[in-house]
Amino acid sequence: MARETLTPESPVEHPSPPTTPEEKLERDRPGLKEWLDLRLGWWGFVRKNLDEEMPPGVGWWQTLGNLLLTLLIFQFTTGVALAMFYTASPEGAYQSVKHITYEVPLGSFVRGLHIWGSSAIVVVMVLHTLRVFFWGSYKKPRELTWVVGVLIFQVILAFSFTGYLLPWDQKAYWATVVGTRIAGTVPFIGDSLVVLIRGSEEVGALTLTRFYAAHVMILPAILLALVGLHLYLVRRHHIAGPVVPQRGKPVPFYPNQLFKDAVVLLFGIGIVIYFALAFPPSLEALADPTGTDFAPRPEWYFLGLYELLKIMPPGYELLATIIIPGMISIGMLILPWLDRSKSRHPAARQWIIFMGLAVILLIGVLTLKGILETPVHPEGGHSAVANFVPLT
Amino acid sequence: MSETNGKCGCDAEVESPGKRKLLGWIVGVINLGLIAAIVGPVAGFIGSPLARKRKGTWIELANVDDIADGSIEEIPFSIEVKDGYRIAEHKYSVFLRREANSFTAFDPACTHLGCRIKYQQRQHRFICPCHGGVFDDSGNVVSGPPPRSLDTHKLKIEAGKVWLYKEV
Ligand code: FES
Repeated sequence: MARETLTPESPVEHPSPPTTPEEKLERDRPGLKEWLDLRLGWWGFVRKNLDEEMPPGVGWWQTLGNLLLTLLIFQFTTGVALAMFYTASPEGAYQSVKHITYEVPLGSFVRGLHIWGSSAIVVVMVLHTLRVFFWGSYKKPRELTWVVGVLIFQVILAFSFTGYLLPWDQKAYWATVVGTRIAGTVPFIGDSLVVLIRGSEEVGALTLTRFYAAHVMILPAILLALVGLHLYLVRRHHIAGPVVPQRGKPVPFYPNQLFKDAVVLLFGIGIVIYFALAFPPSLEALADPTGTDFAPRPEWYFLGLYELLKIMPPGYELLATIIIPGMISIGMLILPWLDRSKSRHPAARQWIIFMGLAVILLIGVLTLKGILETPVHPEGGHSAVANFVPLT
Repeated sequence: MSETNGKCGCDAEVESPGKRKLLGWIVGVINLGLIAAIVGPVAGFIGSPLARKRKGTWIELANVDDIADGSIEEIPFSIEVKDGYRIAEHKYSVFLRREANSFTAFDPACTHLGCRIKYQQRQHRFICPCHGGVFDDSGNVVSGPPPRSLDTHKLKIEAGKVWLYKEV
């Protein structure tokens, strides 16, 4: 426009510095940072996330998601490292894990991080879920954020179950024999399901490769997609904030909330590192389908289910294997539609809170019972060393 | 209608709704074909263990005379099993019970969720270490969650020996 009205009398105009992205793209020699940013739009993306407004009252409770994400990244990294030393065969699995644990420099530490990391993920995931539950943050429009979160929860448990078999020691073998048989209690198709999960009638070489493929390929792919979707939804709908809106102005995510996140990360990851160093991972005896001096027990976070199986009278095992766990899972998935109250306030949704407390109490008490009844290993914490010597 | 079509403001050629629908439909069909082309073979491949035929063999367990009347003994044996890509010597065992001249071979897998039972001679009980299942000498459930009595194996007595039929 301006160009058309130019006359010789017009004042001399110096070209103004480019301002729009298109103008900048036309510039001859942008700096590397600018060149990259013009193509990636990275800085805008970062800024948008750092400037994300936190409603007043958001604080320490909202750091758990970030901690969970960081723990998952740690888990992913140690997992890739472990895979470089691991062999998924009945002959190789046990030997390679033994090699990792007792011979490779830092092997015990990296495996320890992976093992304690998995426990930490479950703990933090439960806390994160409880926070969202009690704050009622799953309500409109965040229903799908919650649903995706519940799916992530289930994928994590599947990770734990498939990873447990990989060392191919007694504990791993028997927990998998029992765990996979749970699928066998499904009416009509149970036996086929067990074969499909095990890759064979018995837990063997094909079970190991199946679980390995699930643990390092299928589940990570699913998890990545779900976490991506979850984060996208969290940013799209923003943080819900306290149940009763608090007075005050919203503050940007950076630096206040990010600082809190960093402090929690420091503590959370610090605890995992401490445990990995103080309680190094062990290995039981090699998997033995005929060994009798072994009482199989699952990982601590499955002890609730384990105790539930124990207290079920004969003929009711379907209740413990499928119906109760299934109802809890489905109930969690459809929670945003079970709870129809408009308000997020706990008083406005008493029966949901009551049901939630009942489930938490059931799982909590049973898990505690399981933990208290776990026999202390006769040789103490380092039983694996005792096993290790005669096997070499 | 035509002037609002496209950014250039020129008269872009508009396909008839019928043609658009047909093309969309064909894309859908091609996509379904692609999904079937990948899911079909992979599902068949992963599910192939379901179609595996089990082979049965007779295994020599013990001399009839070596098993005392009224006793229950655990007898280990091993079979070469094709376990996926490998042929391995798999170890098994059964609890062989003799009453006069009749023999019963109890499978050591608990009928609840498959843990390995132990025989407690003094109490005359099979105990499962997992969820506390208890069975008596005849394999019947005494207490705990197991839904049915212990599984038994097919046996035959031939030339003074006890043979067991095992499918692997
Ligand atoms: S497996 Fe024997 S009682 Fe559960």
